[in-house]
Amino acid sequence: MAKKETVGRTLGVVVGLCLVCAIVVATASVQLRPLQKASKDADIQRNILLVSGFGEVEDVASTFAKNIEPRVINIETGEFVEEDAATFDFEATKYDAKRSFKLDKADDKAGVQRMTSNSPVYFARNEAGTIQTIVLPIQGYGLWGIMYGFLALEADGQTVKSINFYKHNETPGLGGEIQNPKWTAMFEGKSLPLDIVKSGAEGNQHKVDGLSGATLTSNGVDNTVDFWTSDKAFGPFLAKVRKGELN
Amino acid sequence: MANSKEMKQVLLGPVFANNPIALQVLGICSALAVTSKMEKALIMSIALTLVTAFSSLFISMIRNHIPSSVRIIVQMTIIASLVIVVDQTLQAFVYATAKELSVFVGLIITNCIVMGRAEAYAMKSPPMMSFLDGIGNGLGYSFILLTVAFIRELGGSGTLFGVEILPLVAEGGWYQPMGLLILPPSSFFIIGLIIWVLRTYKKDQVEAKA
Repeated sequence: MAKKETVGRTLGVVVGLCLVCAIVVATASVQLRPLQKASKDADIQRNILLVSGFGEVEDVASTFAKNIEPRVINIETGEFVEEDAATFDFEATKYDAKRSFKLDKADDKAGVQRMTSNSPVYFARNEAGTIQTIVLPIQGYGLWGIMYGFLALEADGQTVKSINFYKHNETPGLGGEIQNPKWTAMFEGKSLPLDIVKSGAEGNQHKVDGLSGATLTSNGVDNTVDFWTSDKAFGPFLAKVRKGELN
Repeated sequence: MANSKEMKQVLLGPVFANNPIALQVLGICSALAVTSKMEKALIMSIALTLVTAFSSLFISMIRNHIPSSVRIIVQMTIIASLVIVVDQTLQAFVYATAKELSVFVGLIITNCIVMGRAEAYAMKSPPMMSFLDGIGNGLGYSFILLTVAFIRELGGSGTLFGVEILPLVAEGGWYQPMGLLILPPSSFFIIGLIIWVLRTYKKDQVEAKA
């Protein structure tokens, strides 16, 4: 037993082990990356389909390809730009100083800190080719962290069709209920600007009941929707939509 | 080579007689965090069982070559590598659940059960027995996790594996969910009650008064 405690041997074992482990980890990571990317993209596509009213479909990729048209717009002007929405990597772009900018504290209602200069938007068209739904990617600070989701609007750019959040850290059962279809269904048919209130939303075009037990998360959703439909975010784009410049 | 009776003891002992959570009170952190839903608890249980089993196996295989001055670091390296592989696999195949489990898969690295078995058993035992010991302790962990998740999901959300069992008042049913069960502290109470039941039933688990 005493023999194996030489410095050389210890170093040898450690270096050897690290090499083996590094190779195993690196192989797993590289081999699985395409699958992970595919799962992630499929998850986002599934959520875009959900929010535009297609429900849970079997074949996400082909339904998406057939019905959804992804485009990229410039946030400031609201004009379309030539960029491939399929390869738009939000996280990478957000921290690329050339393609994003920092928000002033006063403007940053949703707590996102940085904005990308361009953003993807998605259109769902019917068979005649008229736009049925406009899907906007939104994100904002809830109680525990940034909530990522989609806001679907009717072709008038004014009426809310649906909202959903696909990634968040809210408390399961309380704030986590922002994913509950029964809650998100209450957004249907409401009109912008939205206000999430404690009670008395019934019959009001601009008000939605908040989640009980999750006031801070509800406020977060309220701020997020307000921010992304404001002039700082999709406002210029929505103004064009409302003028009917799309069809 | 160990006989089959000993193997059975190593495999099944940790489920009731020597449960890592209930008797050794290890691995409580993740037991609190991932038991709000059955599905999460199940995936977490499988992940932990695999990591414990394979880390015990590999550590046992090289146990005579591990210098004792750096043995904890060597164990950690093996465990951490396995956890990364498991985490990557989960992200590739069950993306939605992996997203919910988030940081807790990574935290298997620091789970006391894995370290505890490596240090207490795998360092002294042959590979096959260590592997079984890992599986056994993983099963013990899974047993508690799934029991707690069963109570929490049924009582807190009225569902099991996401399927509605008790119709909630909020959705027109009759069941008023218990908000406490959704929150992590409720696991403390449930695990406490399980320990109480186990020790009433198996008196030898009660610690002698000092």
